This record gives sequence, structure tokens and C-alpha cells, in this order.
Amino acid sequence: MKIMKIVGVSLKSILKHKLRTALIELAILVGIATLTVVVSLTQGANKLIMKRIQNFGPDAIMVHSGGGKMRGPSTAQQANLTKKDISDIENISGVKFATPFQVELDMPLKYDNQFTTSWVMGVEPDWRDAWRRGASKGAFISNSDNEQLSRVCVIGVTTAKELFGKADPIGESILVKNISFKVIGILEKRGQSPAGTDFDNLILIPFSTASRRLMNQPLYTSMLRVIISDPARAKHVAGKISGILRENHRLASTQEDDFRISTAEQIAKMIKSTSKTLGLFLWLIAVISPLVGGIVLMNIMLMAVSERKREIGLRRALGAKKRDIIFQFLTESVVLTFSGGGLGVGVGVIIAIFVRHLGKPISISWQPFATAFVISVLIGLFFGVYPAKKAANLDPVDALNQ
Amino acid sequence: MIELKNITKSFQNGTIKTDVLKDVTFGVQRGEFVAIMGSSGNGKTTLMNILGCMLKMSGGSYALDGVDIETLDDDQLSDLRNKKIGFVFQSFNLLDGTSALDNVLLPLVYAEEYPDDARERATQLLESVGLGDRIHYKPGELSGGQHQRVAIARALVNDPAIILADEPTGNLDSESVREIMDILKRLHKQGKTIILITHDINIARYAGRTVFLRDGKIYNEEVSK
Repeated sequence: MKIMKIVGVSLKSILKHKLRTALIELAILVGIATLTVVVSLTQGANKLIMKRIQNFGPDAIMVHSGGGKMRGPSTAQQANLTKKDISDIENISGVKFATPFQVELDMPLKYDNQFTTSWVMGVEPDWRDAWRRGASKGAFISNSDNEQLSRVCVIGVTTAKELFGKADPIGESILVKNISFKVIGILEKRGQSPAGTDFDNLILIPFSTASRRLMNQPLYTSMLRVIISDPARAKHVAGKISGILRENHRLASTQEDDFRISTAEQIAKMIKSTSKTLGLFLWLIAVISPLVGGIVLMNIMLMAVSERKREIGLRRALGAKKRDIIFQFLTESVVLTFSGGGLGVGVGVIIAIFVRHLGKPISISWQPFATAFVISVLIGLFFGVYPAKKAANLDPVDALNQ
Repeated sequence: MIELKNITKSFQNGTIKTDVLKDVTFGVQRGEFVAIMGSSGNGKTTLMNILGCMLKMSGGSYALDGVDIETLDDDQLSDLRNKKIGFVFQSFNLLDGTSALDNVLLPLVYAEEYPDDARERATQLLESVGLGDRIHYKPGELSGGQHQRVAIARALVNDPAIILADEPTGNLDSESVREIMDILKRLHKQGKTIILITHDINIARYAGRTVFLRDGKIYNEEVSK
């Protein structure tokens, strides 16, 4: 096959001109390595976002007391959700159940002579089902704890570490705002919230204890977590909840909501918009550096063409058609960028692993490889065409007499 | 086999127009050995390039094997060079760092079909020019005369009808000159049509007929005994 013969010619030439080969491969390597790292970083970030959304729960709808555009949890002082609100919401079709909880941020905690602050949440036993998160050790808040206004708590691993170090906290008593609570369990580790706060720096106490003893909010609930049966209908159910609350709170159509409702979808949108700017900047670098590699390729190939005029003239004299010459030089370009791209992916992955060891979220999967190979071949074709055409269009007589 | 009629060729360099060939007419029969004689600057290399279908003429007509060259496009000219013409250059034009064998095989890369016996054929040709023991040598390891012998083997690998030799001995010592000319003579005897371009009357004498070129025109023809 003629094509295979010409590919052979190209490969020989690549092996023969070692410095040129090394320079082009280096240029492509840098470009593709950059691209690989950026793709890995972006995927890592996306994975993290997905994980945070998973933490939020795709089948969950959060209802916050108080309107406005503030983010984060609503505290017990802002609470305005009534018992009727909750039972009305639970009656919406598609809603499995709703669990109320009270939140107080950055409460001072004390054990022995250790101090720390953490979130305190007053919860009912079905909080565990709503968050799919129970006690990894010891017991969870029970119905009788709630009925008896018990002063017991389940603590997150971060809080436990702050107060107890490596010692076992279960059975010990801690002071929350000078009220003593007995630790009955350790909460399952969860990581970060969608907004990036530590979900393990918190303590759970019975809802009734929180409302009446600690937060002085016996009538209203600050937050509600609603679990629905079909995540795809989250938006629809959220609309219904909004309607019910507006009616129950007797809001006129001109008045703004005095509550906030969030779904997993909204959370995802919010996070993505904040990471967009940085992502754009990274992608700009990732796109520019392979292009620079392509320009280097074009330069060196142009030089090669003028260095090898005589060879080109000879080939033309012996019967090479223009397209044979184009094919020869284009093959050289593509083989060079392809192998440079391969090395670039390797280097990129090594850098990515290194960055992961520094604690940045990085995902290494097949996509960067595919992207890099496709991009490097495209660069070879795009930036190789001009030098190849130039070679083919040389006048054979002039080229031979160089 | 070759019919040239009223060939003219001029080059434009800026505003200066140079007429290199002015009305050249001659023919070459199949199996003939023709020398084109002329001192340098008389247009013989230009004529050679036109004969080799590498250069378009400015006027006149050129028929090779009954085909009007003017009617062929670039690809067809490439095929024609590949199949019908074997080039032998003054400066050999071998590829560096490439073995004698691979140099001989080069025209076959561009042939329509790569023959199965290509290597045997190339080896035989190298043997026939006395380089059977050096087929894997690279140009850097061969002498000038040996370079030209490789080049002749390369010109023959596609079994062309015509050998076009442009000052094939111009860069060689006298002993190599004799070797090369003996090879060309032998090829002529085997039936090849040979066109030899030279400025040396002693070289031209090897040919059966000599065409004298001066100032872009043919001014004399001479048939050897």
C-alpha cells in the first residue's frame, strides 16, 4: 500500500531529525499536560459539588424561616413556621414526611477545661431518616428523650475531637450555654455542606429541649426538612409548599415571602455559579497552551520544509504527487503531536496526583486522556496543514537545485 | 518517442525577461542514445527539465510516446515521471542516512502498485552496477562514482523507457566517468532510450547522435559512426 509506504517515510524522518522531534514534542507535551491537569481539576471540583449535593439529598426540600436572600440556616430567633404549617406540608401529595428542627449557630460548648463553639440543632427522631444519618456509636435522640425534655446530646466528630481529643465522649457531660447535656452518641461523619461548612461540627439535642430550655422558642420552628417520594417532582412540591405557607402566613400578593425554600437543583446552580469565574480562567489557560504548542509545531515544520527542499524536489521528480508530499508532512505533524500528547497526558496525570496529595480535589479518569488525544491530533492536523501544503507547492526544479 | 517542436522558454525575473530557449525542435527515436551538448548558460538544463516534465515550456509542443504533455495535469505528470523517465542528476541526489537499497526503492514508493519483488529487483539492479556487496551502505560510506551508480540503479527500478542524465559525470573523477559511461552504454544496448546532457565533447561521443545547443537554439547535429 502506497499510504503505508509514505507513513514509513514519515516515521523514518521523525526518528532521523531528533532535535526537531524533541522540540515539537516538548511544546505539545506542555500544552497537553496543562489541559490534562485542568480537566482533572474541573472534574474533581464537579465531583465534589455532586457529593455535596448528595449530602443535601436529591429527595429533600429545605424550608427556612425568614425571607430575603440570606443563605445558611435560619436560627431559632427567626423561627416563624407553625405546627399547622408542618402538618399542611405533610399532607401534600408526594411528601413522605417533614421533620422540624431548631438551629442555633456557634453556641459555646465546654467540657472540663476545653472550649469550642458549634452549631446546636434541636431534632426529632426522624431527623435520622430525613438526613440518612444516625449515630455511628452510642444512641440517637429518641421519642422519650423528646417527651421528657431530656438533656442528652449526640455530637459530631469534629466537635468531639475539639472537646475530647481522642478520649471516648459517650457518658460524659458537656455544658451548652451553661446547661449540662449528657453525650449519648457520636453522629455519623458527613463532611461539608453544599455551601462548604463543616457538617461534623454540630451537636444534636431533643427538639423539645432545644425549643423550651435552650433557645426559648416554644411556638415556632426555625427549619423544616421535607422528604419527597420522587426527586424529579421537587420543583413542583416546592411550589405547593410555597403556596401553603403564603396562605397560612396571610401574605398579600404584594408582600415578599417570609420563608425560603431550597431544593438540590437550586443548590447545584448556586455552587456552579460561584465556581464559574475560576473555571473560565483555568479553561482559558488550558485552551491557549496547546495552541501555543501548535504554533511551535508550525514554526518548526516550516523550518523543516525549507531545510528539506532538496528532498522534496527529488521526491517530486521521482513521481511523488502533491498530495503524497502533503500526506508525508501531515503524517509527521500528527505523529509528533500525538506522541507529544501521549507524553503530555502522562506528565499531566503525575502533576494531578501530586496536586491531589496537596489536598485539592482532583479526579483522574479516562476523559482527560480522550480529550488530550483528540486535541493533539487536531493540533497536528490544523497547524500541520500549512507547512505540508507549502512543501507540496514548491517548484520541483527550484527545490531540487537548492 | 520524443517530439519537440518550436520549444521556447523564458523566465521572468522582476521586469527582466530572459529567453533561455528559442525555438528548439528535435526528436528522439525509441532506443536512441542522444547527447545534448552545450556550454553552461546555453539552456541545456532548462531543456532537460522540460524533457523531464518538471518545467512547463512557454511555447511550442512536446509529445512523449504520442501524448501531448501540455494536456496533462500535475498528478498525471507525476505519474509519467514515475513510470517513463529515470532521472540521473549531476549531484546524485541520494537521501542522506538512507541505505543504497532504500534509495533505489524510492521511486517505487510513489508507484501505483508496490511490486512484491521490489527488494529483489533493487538488489539485482545494485548488483548490475557492481554494488551487490554494498546494498546496505549509506551515501556517506560510498564514493562519488558509487553514488552515481546507486542513482542509476534508482533510475532503472521502475523500468522506464527513457533515462534522462544531466551531466551525470560532472562531479566524478576520470575512472568513475568511464565506469558510469560504460553502464549507460550497456543500458543503451539493452534497449533503453538515453538522453545525456553534457558540456564535455568526450562524454558526448559515447552517444549515437549529438545535438549542439547554443544561445537557446540548436545549431548543429552530428551522428557518430
